[in-house]
Amino acid sequence: MPKPIRQSDLDAYLDEALPSEEMARVEQALRNDPELRERVATINGRRDAGVHSLGEIWRRHRLSCPSREQLGSYLLEALPDEAADYVTFHLEVVGCRHCRANLTDLEQQEAEAPHEVETRRRKYFQSSVGHLRRR
Amino acid sequence: MSLPRQTDTLLIRRIRSGEAEAWNELIARFEGRLLAFICSRVRDRAAAEDVVQETFIGFLTSLPNYDARRSLEGYLFSIAAHKLTDHLRREGRRPTLPLVPGGSESSSNWEPPGSARAASSIVRSGERRGLEENALAAAIDGQLAHWRKRGDWQKIECVELLFVRGWANKEAAAHLGISEQAVANHKFEFLAKLRSAVHKQELPEEVFPELYDE
Repeated sequence: MPKPIRQSDLDAYLDEALPSEEMARVEQALRNDPELRERVATINGRRDAGVHSLGEIWRRHRLSCPSREQLGSYLLEALPDEAADYVTFHLEVVGCRHCRANLTDLEQQEAEAPHEVETRRRKYFQSSVGHLRRR
Repeated sequence: MSLPRQTDTLLIRRIRSGEAEAWNELIARFEGRLLAFICSRVRDRAAAEDVVQETFIGFLTSLPNYDARRSLEGYLFSIAAHKLTDHLRREGRRPTLPLVPGGSESSSNWEPPGSARAASSIVRSGERRGLEENALAAAIDGQLAHWRKRGDWQKIECVELLFVRGWANKEAAAHLGISEQAVANHKFEFLAKLRSAVHKQELPEEVFPELYDE
């Protein structure tokens, strides 16, 4: 039996905040299920009316996200056990995409060739610097 | 709570004054994590890099509206999420969704569940909504900090499962290996603290329906 899609899943889906495999699952379901699309419309209506959702505020303010420094310590296995267990929970069970991205970035920093990073950064800089407002 | 660091505030000030070196620093600091975020949904590396590029341009064009009290990383991730959504729509992966129930053009008939009050009576300014949101975020943050200090990690995990992932009490109890009664107690303690904060700050209860749903 497929896992049900909760209201909170739809809420997080709209904010691109679900783990990527769950994003894909919700996307697939939305294509085929008009009732699910109606539920999303209800969430949009609630947001328009200015009614707050705890999960939305929690995610947006990243209230339980470990800092990047803590994630670095987690990778080095330098966090106290209980704090490390919590980070594992936050990454694996909650599936925080932002913390997962930070962790992947920290892991890749060691693996990536410096010239590739430099080329990419230069491309970003050159394509955007024209938008910098000079005063 | 993800707050702006002093280094971020200074960096933004330099970018606002048009300093190209500061802009280079921001790119160097954040591009890796933004690329990792996009790559989790876009397998084509070149396309993912294009989305990151659009994110940086989006950041500069929206900079006059950026509230420096907000976390810089959080702001960049929110722009990246919008650019990613646009990309996935263009690719046909993300379906276009109705904005209001029943395909209506207006959302003015929406009412919070369980409330007798018409939505129109709680329509407030964006600024007011922001104040409400920040007040509730501070209350949640305070409670999480209190539990962290006491080493009550299980309580944090419990309320995170309930309110962020939307798990039922029974599922949370099974995952954490505790009784449903213990889950209910953690939930009650958490909601009571938040209700107290809402009451103290004289915020309208009807815009936080989850706090009064029990």
